[in-house]
Amino acid sequence: MSTPNKNGHILLYSGSEWYKKLSQEELQRVIDQNKAWVENLAAQGKIKGGQGLARQGAIVSAKGLHLSDGPFAESKEAIGGILVLDVATLEEAIAIAQTSPSIPYGTTIEVRPVSEECPLDALARERARGELVNA
Amino acid sequence: MSTQSNNGYMLIFRGTDWYKGLSPEQMQQVADKWMAWFKGLKDEGTALSGNPLEREGKVVGKNRVVSDGPFAESKETIGGYFLLKVNTMEEAVAVAQQCPGLPYGIRVEVRQIAGECPMVEEVQARAQMAHA
Repeated sequence: MSTPNKNGHILLYSGSEWYKKLSQEELQRVIDQNKAWVENLAAQGKIKGGQGLARQGAIVSAKGLHLSDGPFAESKEAIGGILVLDVATLEEAIAIAQTSPSIPYGTTIEVRPVSEECPLDALARERARGELVNA
Repeated sequence: MSTQSNNGYMLIFRGTDWYKGLSPEQMQQVADKWMAWFKGLKDEGTALSGNPLEREGKVVGKNRVVSDGPFAESKETIGGYFLLKVNTMEEAVAVAQQCPGLPYGIRVEVRQIAGECPMVEEVQARAQMAHA
């Protein structure tokens, strides 16, 4: 059992545009199932927030700006949306992800604990301590 | 690229292996710069929220199978995100270009937040075509 985390957990949805292959009826059914699933979680107070993402986007890196009009949609790794869960343990967040109606259609959900502080801060402190110990 | 969106934009920070070569002092400096950057954006109302993510987690995929994620140190791993209250891709990109992690190899994905779930948009678009 992992340690409880009061900052909650995040679900990162990824997958190509699997829903484009569905018939209108199937698509509507998955939408209804998803809606009911989210509403049920919200009623239990387990949802902090969530955002669906449009396909267009840009990538900014040290190499400069790369604008794109949909490689995000074609990539299996592309994030399609996020859901922030107000649950304390990774186990509960995983159990919720497993009940997602879009999993049978090929969606992958990454489950990650939200951090209290920048992990970089913690790592810098840890390393500084390590250097003191080794000194 | 300059379509207006009232729903805002999301900055997704990718890369969790970039600080390997840095000393604790350098890491602390980048962390401090990053925090100050976020605080400034929040104070001026440009950022609504943001979350750093722990370097652990799991992946739920096909047949609801749970597997370990390759989160430890990779170029693709998402390290955190900001939600921005800006109306154009240009503004969101301009904010992304200020990211203190860029010189160290961090990549910032800038994505428009969908007003409607893309699935709902698809079903609506098809219904419209059927009626046209």
